[in-house]
Amino acid sequence: MNGDKLKIALYWGAACGGCDVAVLDTDEFVLELAAEADILFWPIAVDGKYEDIRALPDGALDATLFSGAVRNAENEDVAHLLREKSQVLIALGSCSAFGGIPGLANAVTREEILERVYLDNPSIELGNRTVPRTRVPVNGTELELPAFYPRVWRLSDVVDVDYLVPGCPPAPERVQEVLAALVSGTLPPRGAVVGAAEKALCEECRRRKADKRVARFVRPWEIVPDPESCLLEQGLPCAGPATRGGCGARCPDINQACRGCYGPPPGVQDQGATLVGAWASVIEAKTVEEAETAFAGLPDVLGIAHRFTLPASLLQRSCR
Amino acid sequence: MSRPPLPRIGVFVCNCGTNIARTVDCEEIACAAMEWPGVVVARAYKYMCSDPGQEMIAEEVREKRLDRVVVAACSPRMHEPTFRRALASSGLNPYLLEMANIREQCSWVHDDPRAATDKALALARAAVARVVRHEPLEKRFVPMNPATLVLGGGIAGMTAALQLADAGQPVTIVERADRLGGNVARIDLTAPHLDSARELLLGRLARVSMHPMISVLLRAELEQLEGYQGNFTADVAVEGASRRLEIGSVVVCTGYKEFDAARVEGLGYGRLPDVITSFELELMLKRGRIEMADGRTPRTVALVHCVGSRSEEYHGYCSRVCCMTALKYGHEVKSALPGAAVVDLYIDMHAFGKGCEDFYRKTAEIKTLFLMYGKNAPPVIRPAGPKDDCNLLITLDEKLSGEEIEVPADLVVLMVGMEPREDAGRVAQLVNISRDKDGWFIESHPKLDPVATTTDGIYIAGACQSPKDIPDSVAQARAAAARILAKVAKGKIEVDAIFAEVDAARCSGCRICGTMCPYGAIEYDEEQKSSRVVEASCKACGCCAAACPSLAVRARHFTDEQIFAQIEGVL
Ligand SMILES: Cc1cc2nc3c(=O)[nH]c(=O)nc-3n(C[C@H](O)[C@H](O)[C@H](O)COP(=O)(O)OP(=O)(O)OC[C@H]3O[C@@H](n4cnc5c(N)ncnc54)[C@H](O)[C@@H]3O)c2cc1C
Ligand code: SF4
Ligand code: SF4
Ligand code: SF4
Ligand code: SF4
Ligand code: SF4
Repeated sequence: MNGDKLKIALYWGAACGGCDVAVLDTDEFVLELAAEADILFWPIAVDGKYEDIRALPDGALDATLFSGAVRNAENEDVAHLLREKSQVLIALGSCSAFGGIPGLANAVTREEILERVYLDNPSIELGNRTVPRTRVPVNGTELELPAFYPRVWRLSDVVDVDYLVPGCPPAPERVQEVLAALVSGTLPPRGAVVGAAEKALCEECRRRKADKRVARFVRPWEIVPDPESCLLEQGLPCAGPATRGGCGARCPDINQACRGCYGPPPGVQDQGATLVGAWASVIEAKTVEEAETAFAGLPDVLGIAHRFTLPASLLQRSCR
Repeated sequence: MSRPPLPRIGVFVCNCGTNIARTVDCEEIACAAMEWPGVVVARAYKYMCSDPGQEMIAEEVREKRLDRVVVAACSPRMHEPTFRRALASSGLNPYLLEMANIREQCSWVHDDPRAATDKALALARAAVARVVRHEPLEKRFVPMNPATLVLGGGIAGMTAALQLADAGQPVTIVERADRLGGNVARIDLTAPHLDSARELLLGRLARVSMHPMISVLLRAELEQLEGYQGNFTADVAVEGASRRLEIGSVVVCTGYKEFDAARVEGLGYGRLPDVITSFELELMLKRGRIEMADGRTPRTVALVHCVGSRSEEYHGYCSRVCCMTALKYGHEVKSALPGAAVVDLYIDMHAFGKGCEDFYRKTAEIKTLFLMYGKNAPPVIRPAGPKDDCNLLITLDEKLSGEEIEVPADLVVLMVGMEPREDAGRVAQLVNISRDKDGWFIESHPKLDPVATTTDGIYIAGACQSPKDIPDSVAQARAAAARILAKVAKGKIEVDAIFAEVDAARCSGCRICGTMCPYGAIEYDEEQKSSRVVEASCKACGCCAAACPSLAVRARHFTDEQIFAQIEGVL
């Protein structure tokens, strides 16, 4: 092993694996990366055990890319472990950066989730009362499962994080840029959001924009959007105005409203609240009834507006 | 690099005689304030806004080299300008002041002295925390283009144009029709003095067309208006060709149109040829012959008031000129056809104008039969039968007698009310002004600012603002001209130092803010693909700053940091 080579790790917490796929989607670049750096740990692609990492001295890894949110004790333990062993810790993807899609589970409590998934679900065998527990006796020994936390956390809620790479998943070109900067040592000062733009998505969206007036929000199946003009003006709840740019406007380019996966623009703390404010600003309603009609096309405001950032919002989670 | 010096804040607590001191312990606030970071002097005084009070502030600013001032007194709406002047007189930028309202928000609304004093302390602390983050702001000036566009060349538009032009300022009248004069040109004599409308107009028409400072565009449409007060650009289409005008102000004088009498079915307008509108009678009067459809001379002429006005179904408002116009017709019919009878059907007789009550009395003297009908119960008109000795029969619930009666008539004149023109909504949008529930343009303040609008540089005059007679239309037109001349005399427009700014480095060009601005102060730059605030039009309402999802808009003097500091100061 060449001592000058970078040592890096990739890990996934509560994630779908899409961020790992985004790394693989850099195509031949990932092979170049493997040539430039030793990937010591990467559950999806490289064989390796937690013990191998524990055996390393602190700070032995040059960098770790951690995708996924923190949902259970294992996610948190590994986060601490990798933090200790890494010079640079990068939260890769919106789950890790903001809580992401798994973070939407914060809209309900841990008990409600367990009830729904294991007890009160049509596909469950009648009479089955098996619910995951941290300790289970099996054939005389005791098995241990990671504790399922009452809520989802962002990576930065449990350990110090050096960089955020937003996106669900981050665009492969952006991932490649970040990895290239890592290899060449040209990452900006710690604390930055990297692999993204400094303005909201509308800036890079190619659609024609006018002053916005929305009579009524529509569900995606209700209209065939005009391909030239702004989708929000057509009543689709586009998250672009309150979403950091960087993806290249992937969704508007294929006639889909932005879902907000790149998180809030610089300086904005609560993407969902900001979005609701922006949407409320452009509806044409003069009375409460008109406002209700306008918003009837948004059946799940929390889910739509906070789709990727509920754990990072001012609300954070259900308090029932 | 040297550290910024600590702020030097003065806190001035006002007793307001006993208004504040009765409930709030002002001395306690002054004592406590001395302990707050940055405060170098804190004093309570009887009347802070009095000359000695202001002088005290100015003196302390000079002596203690204060760089921030907090006045805990009344509402800033009351005396913020006073204290800003006091700061300015001592050489301090006036925006380095913050007021804590311990009168309207404390002493006037609370009885418990302890609780009121605690609240006053919290507000004063918040003001101190906020004032530290104040920045010195400078007023700005933009040039004032002396030229005016008058939209609509009726009596109001011509009057405004003449007054401006007589003062030496250039005016362009943009008139849609092929001649000037508006609705007054359709009138024969005017109530209550029975002067000829034609003569009223002719003199003005001659002066307008000869005036070197007035240009008249007939068959012209305003297509677009851009810019802000003092600096508008108007695109006007004149018979198909487009013209661009640079102007500083706009007076909207687009007037009214008459109510469509056919909408009130029971009156038979459109079905019965001898039921006509007031304007149709005016035409007969101008031609000099009052006649029925078949050419015969009517023996009884009935006048029906309030057609389309003061009703639940059509317009709730009074059209203000119909009552006196009906009386005028009484006179004109009597003098043209001395033998004819005049029947006047009214709801209430509105004779409020100067000389109008006398006019009413005179009409009663010429033997007009006055009958009263109820609001929302208009008379019903039907053709008379072959045995009747008349052309039409009018049925009504007569309120004075309390009986349902039938009145014969040969000719019925409907006093149609006024309503906003069909395109009033489009005009309002073009010049960015609002309309009331009935569709009339809204003035800036119904009593104190009747010809200005919420958009600086746009004025309204005449019947486009609400139904009006000629004297009121003329008065408004002259008022609007005077307002403009006052600005032209200054030569430049002062822009308040408090306005919103867009940080182009943050703006994504999403255009959320554009719809939010009630004053049309936000422009979108197609080249830069970002929005910007026109300082001269911004009223610092803050809507855009609240709406911008990129935090790109900064409301000067109401920045997030200032407001958060204030909130933390209260907590
Ligand atoms: C039957 C009747 C009788 C009346 N008799 C009397 C009376 O005896 N005494 C009295 O004091 N008052 C009388 N009035 C009231 C009088 O008509 C009004 O006070 C007067 O016409 C108001 O003048 P104005 O200039 O505001 O509006 P208007 O007379 O309506 O003039 C508006 C002008 O603007 C033009 N215009 C409108 N929209 C546009 C546009 N978008 N672009 C360009 N040009 C436009 C129109 O063509 C018109 O020339 C009477 C009203 C009625 C209905
Ligand atoms: S709102 Fe959406 S569609 Fe409209 S400009 Fe912004 S990103 Fe594009
Ligand atoms: S358009 Fe929006 S949802 Fe789609 S990839 Fe970009 S940031 Fe994500
Ligand atoms: S400054 Fe205000 S509070 Fe003080 S005396 Fe004058 S009016 Fe009263
Ligand atoms: S709302 Fe903000 S980001 Fe959007 S155009 Fe206006 S200033 Fe720019
Ligand atoms: S602060 Fe108010 S008036 Fe000024 S630009 Fe913003 S919305 Fe318009």
